[in-house]
Amino acid sequence: MRRGMKIMPLDNSLQAALVQANAEKGSFRVNRAAYKSREVFEREKKLIFEKCWLYLGHGTELKKKGDFASRRVGGRDIIFIRDRNDQVAAFYNSCTHRGAKICREHNGNARTFACPYHGWVFNSEGKLVSQNASSGYVENLNADGHLDLLPVPRLEHYRDFYFLNYNQKAISLHDYLAGARDAIDAICDQTEDKQIILAGEHSYSVRANYKFMAENSYDGYHLLPVHASFFDHLRDQYAGTSAAHVVDETIASYNTRGAVRGLGMGHAVLDSYVPTGRPVAQWLPSMGAALKPEIEAKYARLVERFGKERADYIAETQKNLVIFPNLVINDILSTTVRYVEPEGPDMMRITAWALGPNDESPALRAMRLDNFVSFLGPAGFGSPDDIEMLEICQTALEHTPIEWNEISKGMAPGGDRRTIAGAPDDEIQMQAYWTQWDLIMRGIETLET
Amino acid sequence: MPSILTRTEAEDFLFHEAELLDDWRMPEWAALYTEGALYEVTSPASPDPVASNAANSLFLISDHIDRIRGRANRLMKKSAHAEFPRSKTRHLVTNVRIVGEEDGGTRLRANIAVYRTKEDTSTVFMGEAWYTIVNEGGTLKIHRKRIILDLNSLYNQGRLTIIL
Repeated sequence: MRRGMKIMPLDNSLQAALVQANAEKGSFRVNRAAYKSREVFEREKKLIFEKCWLYLGHGTELKKKGDFASRRVGGRDIIFIRDRNDQVAAFYNSCTHRGAKICREHNGNARTFACPYHGWVFNSEGKLVSQNASSGYVENLNADGHLDLLPVPRLEHYRDFYFLNYNQKAISLHDYLAGARDAIDAICDQTEDKQIILAGEHSYSVRANYKFMAENSYDGYHLLPVHASFFDHLRDQYAGTSAAHVVDETIASYNTRGAVRGLGMGHAVLDSYVPTGRPVAQWLPSMGAALKPEIEAKYARLVERFGKERADYIAETQKNLVIFPNLVINDILSTTVRYVEPEGPDMMRITAWALGPNDESPALRAMRLDNFVSFLGPAGFGSPDDIEMLEICQTALEHTPIEWNEISKGMAPGGDRRTIAGAPDDEIQMQAYWTQWDLIMRGIETLET
Repeated sequence: MPSILTRTEAEDFLFHEAELLDDWRMPEWAALYTEGALYEVTSPASPDPVASNAANSLFLISDHIDRIRGRANRLMKKSAHAEFPRSKTRHLVTNVRIVGEEDGGTRLRANIAVYRTKEDTSTVFMGEAWYTIVNEGGTLKIHRKRIILDLNSLYNQGRLTIIL
């Protein structure tokens, strides 16, 4: 935030063209241009994607020195690498000579990167080590390092989740994450070892605005209408077990247990109770008797480490976390890290991974992955139905004249909408997101020190 | 019937499976599978999709018989939103090769191309299918079916909501 500048309360702002909060009327609404306008998208590229901390990858994806992954983050191509000194680094994926893409593999291990065009060679720390020329260059042309691979302006991590920032003056990742740090802790603290990204990934596209994915990923309100067929499947799975009644009981109490909570800075989490079972640590009969001792031991250890209240939160609450503007971490029946790359006002690319404790048994790991594909991913019983909703929202708002989306459920009379809590099927988390979005887009929140 | 199928016998069976899918007769499709069956689609990014194991790496689909039936049943419902209105599909199965015996059945490979049209958008899922087909008291059943897509992601297809 600019020094000496007070945040304008959104509710009273006359400038709030795209996001309007009217506490008196209990109405919070977002102009549909925010999802479909090319002009808004171009402004977002400058103001959101060049100011916010953006997720790049997880440290455990780079196991050995020289391991790398090529990524596109906020429209820019990046090499994410663990260098020969075991430092994690991020460089723009372009030769400093004539521009060619240096790294054309999805991931791998390399001691050096040789540009395929003229043979310039860079080491894992990005230093130019050869120009592949015996004449024609003055000595010390690169004395100031300007021909080394260009590192991104800022790269920081929180508990091995690496984020980059294209603004050198950005506030620290620590401050940016605000209350989301505690939400990440609740996931990382499932194990005394570490959480790791498991083998395999899901990569797919969705023909909708990226903010629709953020909204959907922690939306408790959509659960029953969109996922009725998943709950039908769960009922079939649980039939004849002691959990047979759990599905309907939990659905009946869905909006009274748990909460949505704004975590500051536009981040928010949905804490809810959905009867899927959790690898850490809530056993259900459908998971099989063999896994019961391990899951119960994990719960008991959580109680020893954190006390019953925090252990119950870590073990039993389904957490749908959105870190502004485009990272989703859903710790539900399995844990997914889902990165949302906007490609235009009406197109996004998703890359999603499974996260799990390094120290779980092969059987529990298998169950975690089985849970994952049962609901999540582009071929599960859940996510594709979500995606269908996002795409029908996009196409309908592009082809109808209706101006506003109404995101009012649970609206509080006042206060900073980025830190309010409400019922699990409220829309307070989206109000937190859009409040931050609006403050950044109007230049009030600069995210700078 | 001998335990190892001829190519023609295998083709007749695979063409029957394809017909059930294109006709959206999903419960009949699920009935082609054994109680111990696995229907899998590996992750397009997998470095070694033939050897990879859903117990330790993320697949797109890894269905035991309960979820094979669940997938079939779900696709018959209007509440399977991603397939409402239903896609039109066309399964092409070619280059069938009998490669040996496994679990007392016939191990085979085939090339596949599955066309899907949803509204005005048509996409294709191309790749290879590895099957183990067993004879259960005179009825042929699928014991293993693993699809390995010739893709690096589902960027063009978006999602995989039909059965391959």
